[in-house]
Formats: sequence, C-alpha cells, structure tokens
Amino acid sequence: MKTKNFFYIIILLLAVSGYSCTEQQPERTIVDAEQEVKGHVRAVLTDAPQVPPRITNKSNTKVIVELEVIEKQMRLADGVEYTFWTFGGQVPGKFIRVRQGDLVEFHLHNHPDNMLPHNIDLHAVTGPGGGAEASLIAPGKSAQFSFRALNQGLYVYHCATAPVGMHIANGMYGLILVEPLEGLPPVDHEFYVMQGEFYTSGSYGEKGHQDFDMQKAIDEHPDYVVMNGAVGASSGENAMMVQVGETVRLFMGNGGPNLVSSFHAIGEIFDKVYVEGGSLINHDVQTTLIPAGGSAIVEFKCEVPGTLHLVDHSIFRAFNKGALAQIKVVGDENHNVYTGKEKEEVYLPEGSAIQTISQNKTQKSTKPIAEKSFEERMEAGESLYKQNCMACHMDHGNGIAGTFPPLVNSDFLQARDDKGIGIILNGLQGEITVKGTNYNNIMPAVSLSDDQVASILTYIHNKFENDGGLVKAADVDSWRKQQ
Amino acid sequence: MIRYLGSWILAGLILSGVGLSAQEDMSLIPAGSYTPFIKGITEEVEVEGFLLDKYAVTNADFLEFVKANPDWSPENVKSLFADSGYLTHWPVNYLNDKDLESNMEPVVNVSWFAANAYCKWKGKRLPTLHEWEYAALALPKNDSDSAALTRINSDWYSRKTAVHAKVGSTYENQYGVWDMYGLVWEWVDNFNTVISNEDSRNNEDAPQGLFCGSASLNASDASDYVAFIRFAYRGSLKANYTTRKMGFRCAKTIK
Repeated sequence: MKTKNFFYIIILLLAVSGYSCTEQQPERTIVDAEQEVKGHVRAVLTDAPQVPPRITNKSNTKVIVELEVIEKQMRLADGVEYTFWTFGGQVPGKFIRVRQGDLVEFHLHNHPDNMLPHNIDLHAVTGPGGGAEASLIAPGKSAQFSFRALNQGLYVYHCATAPVGMHIANGMYGLILVEPLEGLPPVDHEFYVMQGEFYTSGSYGEKGHQDFDMQKAIDEHPDYVVMNGAVGASSGENAMMVQVGETVRLFMGNGGPNLVSSFHAIGEIFDKVYVEGGSLINHDVQTTLIPAGGSAIVEFKCEVPGTLHLVDHSIFRAFNKGALAQIKVVGDENHNVYTGKEKEEVYLPEGSAIQTISQNKTQKSTKPIAEKSFEERMEAGESLYKQNCMACHMDHGNGIAGTFPPLVNSDFLQARDDKGIGIILNGLQGEITVKGTNYNNIMPAVSLSDDQVASILTYIHNKFENDGGLVKAADVDSWRKQQ
Repeated sequence: MIRYLGSWILAGLILSGVGLSAQEDMSLIPAGSYTPFIKGITEEVEVEGFLLDKYAVTNADFLEFVKANPDWSPENVKSLFADSGYLTHWPVNYLNDKDLESNMEPVVNVSWFAANAYCKWKGKRLPTLHEWEYAALALPKNDSDSAALTRINSDWYSRKTAVHAKVGSTYENQYGVWDMYGLVWEWVDNFNTVISNEDSRNNEDAPQGLFCGSASLNASDASDYVAFIRFAYRGSLKANYTTRKMGFRCAKTIK
C-alpha cells in the first residue's frame, strides 16, 4: 500500500507541469483557475471527530457539497439543553474535504422548520463574503454557488447572517480542508476537533434549557468552552481511540466566536504543526495558538499508552468550562519512553504555602429546597460528580494512584463521621492514607449548595461500593451549623 | 407626551366620524416617531397615526378570502405570486374542512403578493416597515420592564414558545395589539427596502448588507440583536416566498 501511494505521488509530481518542489516542503502554489475540471463527485461529509477519507482523485474535479442548516435542541452538558443552529445537525458542522484545484459546487439548504435565514462564509473561498452573499436563504429555500479551491489549507466556515456573532455563538461553524495537490502524507488516524464557546442565560452546569445571553457574548464571558459542541462530546466513552505506535493527524478548528485557543495535548508533543492551517510547518510544538475563525493541523505519534487530554491551555476553560477532548492510546508500555509512576515523593509545584484553603468559604444556599429521594439524589449526583469530581477522582472513582485518592470502597471515607461533608465544604490538605496508599495533596473546597453536596455524597457512597445510605441536605446544613 | 395626547384626541375625533364600531378589530396607533434600527436613516422617523389589526390574519380568515377569490387558491395561484410552499399546511379538501373554518392560528405559508391581495380585499393595506416596527415597540400591557420585548423574542428564537398557537395567545401591547412578537414573522409592505440588493456590499462607499463587516457599520444599536434578526429575515425574502413561520396582519390609513 505504501509503495503504491509513493508511486502515485511520483506520477503526480511528474504530471503537474510547472510544479516545483524542494526537499522539505513543496513550494506554495495557487492553482490556475483556467485549468480543466474533469468529472464530478459528491462530497463525503462527516461529523466530528470523524474525517472524510483522503482524496485519491488526482485531477481537478467538480465536488458537489450538500449542506443542510438545522436548528435543533441538543445536549450542551449533562442536564443542560441548548437550541443549537447547525450545519448538518451537529456542532461543529460537517467536515468538508476537497483538493486544491477542485471546483466546488455548493448547495446550502435551510430546513423549512427553521426560524431564521442563514448563509455560509467559507474562508476557503476567494470571492465576496466567502459565499455569504450568494447563499443567504430564508427557511425552506436552497441556494447554490460555485468556487474554485485556489489555496490549500484548513479553513473555517461559518454562518454570516446578522447578527453574525449570535449565529456563530449558537454553533454555526465547521471546517473545510483543501488538500494540497500532492495530498497530505498518510497517517494512521485523522480526527476532527473544533472548539467553540457558549454564552448561556444560566451559569455553568445550571440545569434545563438555556437561552443565548447576548450581553455575556458582548462581554466575552462564556459559561461553556467546549470541544465538539458539548461538554464531554469527545471524551470519556466518546474519546477517540488509537493504538500505541500509530500516527495521528488532528484537524483542529476554533469557531469562537470570541476566544483564541491555546491548543495543547496533555502528554504529547506535536511533531508537526501546520501553523494556522496553512502551508508553513513548525516542528516540536507544545502549544499552538488557534485564532477564532482559524485552524491548525497537528500531527504526532503515540509512543506510549494512556489518555491524551486535548485542552485549551488557557486552562480554566478546560477544567471549569468543558474545553477538553480525549484520545485513548492503548497498547504496550514502552519504558524507554516513559516509565509510568516510579515510587517517589509527591512534589507539589505550587507548594502549600501558596495554595491556601480558607475555612467555610463555600456558599450556603439560602433557598430551602425539598429533600430529594434516593433515586433523585443518585441522578443529580451523577452529573454533579462528573462536573466537579471526575477530573481528579476519575470516571469510575478509582482516582490516580499516588496522586488523587480512589473513592471506590474507600476505608478513609467510610471511617469519617461526617460522611465526607467536611471534605467537600472545606477541602482537604495534607497526608492521608487510603486503602494502604499514602497521599499528600490538596483538594480545594468546592462551592456547592447543601442540596448538591448531599447528592454528590449519596452518589459516591452508593455508586462506588462504599457503605451506601442517603445523605440529606439537612445533614449538610447541620454540619455547617456545627462549624 | 402632549404630542401623543394631541394625536389621540385628533384620531378620536376622526374615528368618531367614521364610526368606531367598524374598526373593532383594529387598534389605533397614535402618531409619533422612532429611531429605526438601521443607520443611514440617522434621524428619527415620523410615523403618522394609523390603524393596525389587533390580530394576525388567521387560517379561518384566509379561507374566506380564498373562497371569494379563487385566483388565490393553492391550485390556481401563479408561481410568480407564490412559491410551491403556498398554503401547503392546509388539508387537500380545504374547502369543506370544518376545522379550518374555525382555525384561529395565524395563517402562514403565504407570499407577500397573497398578503397584499388579502388586505386590499378587506379594504386595508399591509403596514409599512416603519409602521410595523413602531407599533411593535410598545411594551406589553401592564409591563414597564424595557427588557420584556427582548425576552419574548429570545424565547421565541430558542423555541420555548409553542409552534402552533392561536392568535391572541402571547401578549397584548399597550396599543391593544396582540402577538407582535413571539407568534409568527409578519410581512410588511416594503419588507425589502433596507437591504434590497445583496450585492450592494460591493459598493465601496455604501455597504448595505446586514452580514459580515457591513453589519457592524449599519446597525444603529448592536445590542438590539432581536431587531437585527428581524431585518436579516426580511432581507432573505422575495415577494413570492412562503415560509412555515411567516404570516401577516393588515393596516389602514386614517382618513
């Protein structure tokens, strides 16, 4: 297969007259729009994190793209719904893949049940508005326009109907890849990840349907910053999967509407970055900046097993607003590359003197809320656990040995008279022993209501093979009063 | 305020002349002025007093019109005047449909031409863009919260309000007019005057479009995004278009 590809590349290089190339990178070329276009194909479109197959056609082709705008209510986070405006039914919109020199015949359809007019501005278009003018359509209408993919690169597309910011903030963005003439080098996996932020009427995690908040958008204060359209859309069970030794190419976009992403993969170094999605290649990059309405292509080889966290390293966005996706790498350890945990003391880079835990800083809810049933507590507890605890104690409560203590069958937890209420409300600091392992770390106090604390603890006591039982909001309240 | 009062008295005198009973289904919108959403019209726009239907035209109303004017039946209408979506929500046998005869939901899937013809048939006309926008600025009755209208609109955009609702089901404004926001989009007489030409962004000096860069140049109040959406919606229309969420109501000049 590889020799076959190589053969094609050679043929291609010979076939493209006037095309010169250096040893490292082909010289940048803009396609001559007068070149002949042969035949036509219907574009394969995919939802994130999937990417359409590599383009094998070696001549300029007419590529027909059919994209439907759909306004629909979907999950933004557990228990949180939002009315998204989408290109193709998901956020981000469908991934479009064409080759430099192709003639793209674009059909945009506005579903008849939609409330609003929409259009599309593709940054890959050389022409007024990137197609925006030609594609403005009322619900129940379709528009068609064609453009020549003159420049290679990874381009953002988005809706550009007034108010533009609101259309983008509601999820109307996606990526179109214009592959270079010679094609991108083969890799084992290609994935599509796109960051975007949401401005909701309620704050992060507030349950129920959330409206768009224009003032927050103008102030650039998002409640959610997410990868692939929702908290957890491409993590946990939905994580991307690869094997040790395989190479990965990420097509990474940032829809914005406002924030610039400090894109980083925890546990990896980008061997190659196509800076800003263009033809300039940088090597050995830790964090690459992706502007709103911009992109980057990053490549790396997965040398060791584990989970890679793709984050916006403007880091509160990752851990407090949802900007996190995961790639799970499975396979054999390679201790020549990474040893895993070796038995050493835990070192706290920031030191306990800096990170202080103040007493009773957590907020006390003033509104009386009716006590929930056991079932209600378990249900609420699950999503609260995911939002507040899972980042350290992990999905299944196993923690990370030596760093974050496990909650599963925890002798430490079960021995406490307060059922753990004090830990959540005040945080915990210093050396403890859990199931025979020493931990010396800091857990900050978590700002939650009595009701929420009761649900989380009920969940932990029952879900993770502990002593069971129901923790009531009243228990939390009386604990606070004792303090 | 004094000016408004004057208008009311004047209008009252006129109305008593023509007989109020004939206009029970319409509200008097007193003369006044407002600053339109679109820049370029930098000054306030004067709006003369006029009458406006209290409710959007219903399916029942429109059925009467179609019965009296077979040219406007779904079978006969010319595609020049209404596209293929025209009245597609009606049953095939609409002429004998008892439910439709009493259906109080606003008629949708009607073109500007059809709306215009209906109003003429009623001895009325479509409201102008300025008349419609001006009348719609009135707050809900018994509501002094200036954010109320934005809230009604944003609830509607995010589909929190019912898709199929009867006229008179959302809110009554201070002129006694119902459902200006939150029920259906409504045709106005000159719906496409603000951005009549999508290509006009190409003109160096006078960008008119409401998208991309020119949007930020043209809006007089960027925070009034609900009005922004309404103008963008109108800009996407042609007079023979029909959509599932667009109806109309009629107006009348005070003589």
